[in-house]
Amino acid sequence: MLIIKDLHASVGDKPILKGINLEIKAGEVHAIMGPNGSGKSTLSNVLAGRENATVTSGSVLYQGKDLLALDVEERAREGVFLAFQYPVEIPGVGNVYLLKAALNAQRKHRGLPELDAMDFLALVKDKMKLMEMNETMLYRSVNEGFSGGEKKRNEILQMAVLEPRLAILDETDSGLDIDALKIVANGVNSLRAPDRSMILVTHYQRLLDYIKPDYVHVLAEGRIVRSGGPELAHELEKQGYAWIGDEPAGAGVKHGS
Amino acid sequence: MSAVIQHYQSEFERAAPLLPWRDATGWQAWRQSAWSRFAEQGFPSTRHEEWKYTSVAALEKLSLSCAPATPVSLEWASLKDRVVLPEACGRLVFVDGVFQPTLSRVDGLPAGLRMGALSGRSTQDSLKLQGLLEQGQARTPFTALNAAFVAEGAWVAAEAGVRMEEPLLILYVVTEGQRAMHLANAYEAAEGSAFSVVEQYLGMTDEPYLVNGVTSATLGEGAKISHVKIQQEGARAYHIAALQAVQKRSSQFNSHSFALSGALGRNDIEAVLAEPEAAVSMKGLYRVSGRELQDFHTTIRHDSPDCTSDECFKGVLNESGRAVFNGKIRVAPDAQHTLSQQSNHNLLLSDQAEVDTKPQLEIFADDVKCSHGATVGQLDEEQWFYLRSRGLAADHARALLIEAFALDILTGIERPVLRDALESLLRRTAHV
Repeated sequence: MLIIKDLHASVGDKPILKGINLEIKAGEVHAIMGPNGSGKSTLSNVLAGRENATVTSGSVLYQGKDLLALDVEERAREGVFLAFQYPVEIPGVGNVYLLKAALNAQRKHRGLPELDAMDFLALVKDKMKLMEMNETMLYRSVNEGFSGGEKKRNEILQMAVLEPRLAILDETDSGLDIDALKIVANGVNSLRAPDRSMILVTHYQRLLDYIKPDYVHVLAEGRIVRSGGPELAHELEKQGYAWIGDEPAGAGVKHGS
Repeated sequence: MSAVIQHYQSEFERAAPLLPWRDATGWQAWRQSAWSRFAEQGFPSTRHEEWKYTSVAALEKLSLSCAPATPVSLEWASLKDRVVLPEACGRLVFVDGVFQPTLSRVDGLPAGLRMGALSGRSTQDSLKLQGLLEQGQARTPFTALNAAFVAEGAWVAAEAGVRMEEPLLILYVVTEGQRAMHLANAYEAAEGSAFSVVEQYLGMTDEPYLVNGVTSATLGEGAKISHVKIQQEGARAYHIAALQAVQKRSSQFNSHSFALSGALGRNDIEAVLAEPEAAVSMKGLYRVSGRELQDFHTTIRHDSPDCTSDECFKGVLNESGRAVFNGKIRVAPDAQHTLSQQSNHNLLLSDQAEVDTKPQLEIFADDVKCSHGATVGQLDEEQWFYLRSRGLAADHARALLIEAFALDILTGIERPVLRDALESLLRRTAHV
């Protein structure tokens, strides 16, 4: 599904990713953990195609294609989905309009007929039940005035509608209370499939109590310094990130300590 | 005498025997004094504070014909698709400044609401018009020129208590260039009456021309007028207009201006809140591209206590387009409890585009709430990225964001049929 080889990237003049190697097979869920500033968000951004990060060397193969050569929208239509850490508010653009335009852009790209309004609404309403979302949210502007939890649920709703091959969930648990976290995790879990891979980018282990990853990687200073099974997350939970380098004490995991 | 004045002087002499109400001495004197006012001042130069950013030098050089045109025959079918409210139950159509009775219809109006072409008014009624056009009018050289030549326009009058919800349409079509059309509109809503009127200006020629309009709205106690103006002028056209609304107690004036095309547009819009508890909502959208310029000078005069004004203008500027927004709010010394807010937001889509925006608040009362704000910005990169990350093409995402920014100005248009018509017009004419 995804092969990242010796990926280096900078933001401005500052090198952030310093040689990432990672392979994700179809159906796998990988968690990428690490302290603030380790490069987690930059990795998500590079994969989704955000222009603020510049790839200086290395390669990313997605379903055999050079992912870095594709435009942002092409990546999306090819099945890459980024659930944003901070979903932006877009006043004046209807949530339902965006969902429909996004789905139809993807279907058109794949040579499928566009969905008409009736079929589309039936599909969306079905997915909204899964996310325990009120239908009135469809007719509001994208994320405008949504609470933190509503924004994250809206992200997963989009994911459920677009059915990506590769989903990158960037700090999806941040800002969620426990009830909202359960709903979001439930939505994500229901989307696990043999042909769908996921990357969970997270600072805390908390999310991984609800979405069980197959693999856990620890990112520090732009490199993956350790990989393992789900037990690695528990280890981090106990020890914090302090062991991985010269992190100042305050940068470690405080959660649960 | 400059060559420019000389040209208009000879036009004035040539047009005089062709203008309406020419036999009334009241008109002859009125036109003559207006002409003298114009001849003294000439066209405004950029040294004039009010015209600092808007040069009409190119307009001055055109030797435009000012006499009423010979009517051109147009089929309704050829216009219908471009008209914002083709099904309006009351409509007046003017082609090259000449009224077209066969394209107009005024038969479906309720009793007590009348509309028609100015030229059809009796001399006695027409003299009343002078009063309307003159009352406190911001006297610019263009309004003087208008008074000297005014030949046609629309009037709507509602008697006390008569309310009509369905919007009326006034359509000005220009098919021939090299002409100056001096138009006047008079809207009168007597006590407790209400109506809604849409003025649409449609340029169908790429030749230069001038539309020089003066509009007066008078609102009696508790009356309401909703006024929508749409400028879709030709590529080399000049559109210059002054609008003044004078409002009595508890009246409501809603004004929406859409300056969508034309080489140069200048609108002076003034609302006079003459009696307590009157309210005005003044909104506008200008879109410029190429080398177009749109200039809005607005004035809201809070002359009485307990009045409310809500003003918002938005601009979308592309290529080398330019815009000017000057928003004056004047609160008189005894206009306590004034509630006033003003905003001007601009979206610059190119490095060459330019906007000059200036709020101008003159507050002489102390118990007031007045706010204002202006922004000039570009498309939000985060929003753009978000939409593209969902698979929307870059152009589509961009157009969607511009549209969202612009269409926001339609809030406050109460009639769904009108709001929908304007929304589809704005989408259709967006050239980004």
